[in-house]
Amino acid sequence: MKDNTIILTLITYGVLLGAISVLLNDIREFDFNQFEKFTNWAKTADKSESWFTSKNAIQWSYYTISAGLFFWRGYLIYGFSYFLSILKEIEAGNYFSDKNIKHFKKIGSIFIWYTVNVLVLRFLLTAINGSTFKFFNELKAEFTFLIPAGLAFYILAEIFKRGKEAEEDNELTI
Amino acid sequence: MSIKVNLDIMLVKRGMKSKELAEIIGITTANLSILKSGKAKAIRFSTLEAICNALDCQPSDILEYVEV
Repeated sequence: MKDNTIILTLITYGVLLGAISVLLNDIREFDFNQFEKFTNWAKTADKSESWFTSKNAIQWSYYTISAGLFFWRGYLIYGFSYFLSILKEIEAGNYFSDKNIKHFKKIGSIFIWYTVNVLVLRFLLTAINGSTFKFFNELKAEFTFLIPAGLAFYILAEIFKRGKEAEEDNELTI
Repeated sequence: MSIKVNLDIMLVKRGMKSKELAEIIGITTANLSILKSGKAKAIRFSTLEAICNALDCQPSDILEYVEV
C-alpha cells in the first residue's frame, strides 16, 4: 500500500506541476495591458455615452471574464492539491480520519463550483462575443464531467464517515 | 447503556488484579479498563469465554441488564 501511495503522490505532483505550468504560461500569454488601456479609457470616456454598448466596455468585460477563467482554473488546481494531503494521511495509516472526510468534501465542492462558474463565464463570454450559447453543447464539454466527479467525492466522504464510525466501533469491541 | 459490566465485583470476589486478568486473557490493560468502565461498544465471545475461564464464572456474573 505504501508503494502505491508513493506512486500516486508522484503522479499527483506531476499533474499539479503540469497544470500550474500550463496555467502560468496561459497567464503569461494573456495581454494584461488591456486593463491599463481600460483604466485610461475610463478616465477620459464620454460620460453621456451608454456604458454597456461602448466597444471598450465590451472588450474590458471580455478580458475580465478571461481573467475569471484563470482564477477558476487556479481554484481547480488548489482542489487537486488536497489529494496530496489525503495521500499523506493514507500513508500514515489514517484511512478514515476527519481530515480525509473534510478534504473529500472540499474536493467535491471545488469540482462542482469550478464547473458551474466556468459554465456561467463561458455563457457571458459568448454573450459578449455576440455568438450563440448552446447550454447542452456546453454540457458536452469535457470539464462538465467534473460535476459527477464532484458528487462522487461527496459520496466518498459519506462512505468514509461511515467507515470512521465502523472503525471506532471496532476499536471499542473488546 | 443498559448493559452493566460487573467485572470489578468479580475481580474482588476472586482476589485478582486487573493487570493479572489482562495478562491471562491476552488483552491490554487499557482495553480491560474500557470494558470495566462500560465504554466498550461490544464484547467478543472469545474475550467473554476467556474472562469466564479465568474468573471461573458465568457470563451473567459479568454482564447484567439494568433497565434505564
